[in-house]
Amino acid sequence: MNGEARDDTGAGRAARFALEAFVIAGAVLPLYLLAKQSVSPELETFAWPPHWLPHRLTLDHFISVFDVNELRGAILRSLAVAAISAAIATTLGAMLAHAMARSAIAQRVGFSTVSGIRLLPMIAVAIPLGTILATLGVYDSPSGIGLAIVHAAIAIPTAALTIYASFAAIPLEIEEAAWIDGASPLRIFLTIDLPMARAAIATALILCFILSWDEFGFALLVQQTNRTLPPLLYYYTVFGNVGPASALALLMMIPAVIVVVALGPSLRGALTAGSSR
Amino acid sequence: MTAMLLLPALNGLVLSFDRHGPSLGNYRILFNDPMFWRALANNLLVPVGSVIVEFVLGLALALTLTARRKPSALIETAAILPFAIPEIVILTLARYIFLPRGYLNGALVTAGIHALPWLSPRSSLAMLMVIVVDAWHVTPIVMLMLMAGLQTIPAELYEAARLDGAGTLATFRYVTLPMLRPAIVGALILRGVDALRIFSTVLVLTGPEGVPVLSTYSYSLWDDAQKPHEAMAASMILALLVTIIGSSRLLFAARYSRATGAMA
Repeated sequence: MNGEARDDTGAGRAARFALEAFVIAGAVLPLYLLAKQSVSPELETFAWPPHWLPHRLTLDHFISVFDVNELRGAILRSLAVAAISAAIATTLGAMLAHAMARSAIAQRVGFSTVSGIRLLPMIAVAIPLGTILATLGVYDSPSGIGLAIVHAAIAIPTAALTIYASFAAIPLEIEEAAWIDGASPLRIFLTIDLPMARAAIATALILCFILSWDEFGFALLVQQTNRTLPPLLYYYTVFGNVGPASALALLMMIPAVIVVVALGPSLRGALTAGSSR
Repeated sequence: MTAMLLLPALNGLVLSFDRHGPSLGNYRILFNDPMFWRALANNLLVPVGSVIVEFVLGLALALTLTARRKPSALIETAAILPFAIPEIVILTLARYIFLPRGYLNGALVTAGIHALPWLSPRSSLAMLMVIVVDAWHVTPIVMLMLMAGLQTIPAELYEAARLDGAGTLATFRYVTLPMLRPAIVGALILRGVDALRIFSTVLVLTGPEGVPVLSTYSYSLWDDAQKPHEAMAASMILALLVTIIGSSRLLFAARYSRATGAMA
């Protein structure tokens, strides 16, 4: 391993310990506070100075999250938007990745489009996009289909970049052998390339799902009344009550935290590729 | 699909030059609005500040985690967690911590210290908090990119440095930093371009005009003031800013590959 040089001095060890303690505190303390707020009765959340431990416990906020129609609708809508956009983005992303892995021109065009999309500020796209979606009749639709299409478009680069390396690693000879045996290009893609890249495709699906699940800006501007979870949480946080907002925030974290804790190291490289705001 | 994003942007460009017929009127209105200049200045200050904080903290974390003899899954997961949590949840949390009657002020008062107005609109303290909260969420990404870079440095280089009697600082200065340069540049540019588009952190923590940046300024023109044309003009200036910084990345990448090509 590298870095052994700075390991053994007392001061170095103390600094390292402090930094690690800081990291753990930064991850655990806020989550604890959120969890605490979600099970504290509403009255306690107004206490001053704020309580560090709940005095009484209640599940009211979670019950209300599932009871109120607006909230239940938002949860279902978020799930649907994330699932649909992940499916579209991964399908199109896989095709783009395949083209990029097999042709130099497609590779150059692909990479520049992908980095170009990242440069567009959300706000410059979202406002005129609202008008376009309205003409198509999918602006602020109850099913969230308009937002799903937008999220799919944002997620394609992530999907393509995640899958690209796996396609590039498939030896051309395998495809050629299939070609000689008379398989059509579509059949080669479906029966050889896709199965060999299935780990990357699964990763891409998960990443695109999370990307849509977390996305706030477009969701805020495109689903103005039929909200998904992130804008709904925003309104709860800024204008609403502490308890339900905390319960909602806690629920929103579930998919992402499962992914990071369960898949951990294998996903880290992909996470870096998929970072975009 | 790409057209889904490009067409609206082009449409927005056209709209920004339209005021009862083609004109520069929208931009003239912006340039006469003090809030626009404040947003533009903040849109440079906040990204620079947050990229510096994220880089220093990310590098410290990356070095600490790679220097461990036994990698600890617990600490690595804890370090990555803030990025895995949805941004809006981090912002919700940050509000509860930094609001006037939040946990931080509660702790300060309990300890006998004065409470502070952390998020008070138009204050430099609020700007600092925007930077801190942004860094809280995205430092893990910088850390991961730098860790990936650190892992590519051959162990022989460290051994050679030790045999030559180089101390900790000299090793860092003459081995780690130069070898890490591509990862550093990559992380800085990726984060820089992202930081320029900062939107939700400001919106949730301080409201669109608390620490106005171009995105939130444009948003409040569109949402509160119902002035879509001016809003588009403001967001086009942001797009221009991002494109300039983003293309400097391409320039740098070209120069860098030429330099390494010459070395090879």
